[in-house]
Amino acid sequence: MALDALSDVSDEALLVLFANGDADAARSLNLRLTPRAFAQAMRMLNNRAEAEDVAQEAMMRLWKIAPDWRQGEAKVTTWLYRVVANLCTDRLRRQRSVGIDAIAEPADDSASVVDGVQDAARIKALYSALDELPERQRQAVVLRHIEGLGNPEIAAAMEISTEAVESLTARGKRALSAHLKGRREELGYSDD
Amino acid sequence: MTERDVDNLDIFFDAARRQVPDPSPDFMQRVLDDALAEQRRLAGRKAPRRAGPGRLRQFVAAIGGWPAVAGLATASVAGLWIGVNPPSAVSMTAEAYLNSGADAYLVDLAPDFQFDVAEG
Repeated sequence: MALDALSDVSDEALLVLFANGDADAARSLNLRLTPRAFAQAMRMLNNRAEAEDVAQEAMMRLWKIAPDWRQGEAKVTTWLYRVVANLCTDRLRRQRSVGIDAIAEPADDSASVVDGVQDAARIKALYSALDELPERQRQAVVLRHIEGLGNPEIAAAMEISTEAVESLTARGKRALSAHLKGRREELGYSDD
Repeated sequence: MTERDVDNLDIFFDAARRQVPDPSPDFMQRVLDDALAEQRRLAGRKAPRRAGPGRLRQFVAAIGGWPAVAGLATASVAGLWIGVNPPSAVSMTAEAYLNSGADAYLVDLAPDFQFDVAEG
């Protein structure tokens, strides 16, 4: 079966095909979900090697659970967000303090060099501030404001209520603002 | 970066969203290799099942599945119980059939028939 023939097939149906030994389903799921898991892990950990480890581990868990996947209970993407978030939380708890110098420079794939430089500075400051947040707040803020998930989906991924998600993101954003203000001088920015 | 920028977190989030982390081809291949290896392992685990159902499973399927087995078991137990402790109606019928002292009667329902045939 050609890969494009699977483009309309749901993740859940692909998982059934995968469990039945369909290699094209494996390739299609890999192309759909691995970049997503990797991106989420990168935004949580801001470290390529660590993000690759987490995404590979999360995808391995998906391959293993495929034969026992219960249709209709959860979306594959929500399940994957949850696994990646939990794996990232474990790693963040192990290595809490990453110095600002250790934060990777973002890839320069933006429209213009000026935008790229500006984005790079903002991204660096943002990740530095995110690193100061408690893991759950960081998770909620990343899923809501960078991954762009809705509150119900975040609630399912984090196994908490939507009210708890709202509370976590609100507190997280307040803390982010405070951290970013505190770093203005340290980062060498001035009002313009 | 200005005070206003810091208060407006959206510009930071927008910048982070624009920068989509790109997984390397090597990494994508590693994940795919894991997937295909897991599929081979799953195929190996499923293989013995393809040998076909066992004799018990075949028997159960032949009589109509497990509900039929339940009916069969109930009938067997009921039959055994009737044998051990028969109700009076059953024991009288059984005696009538099995009693060796019972006489056998021949009843000729058309006694004139033989005579008629002989006379033509």
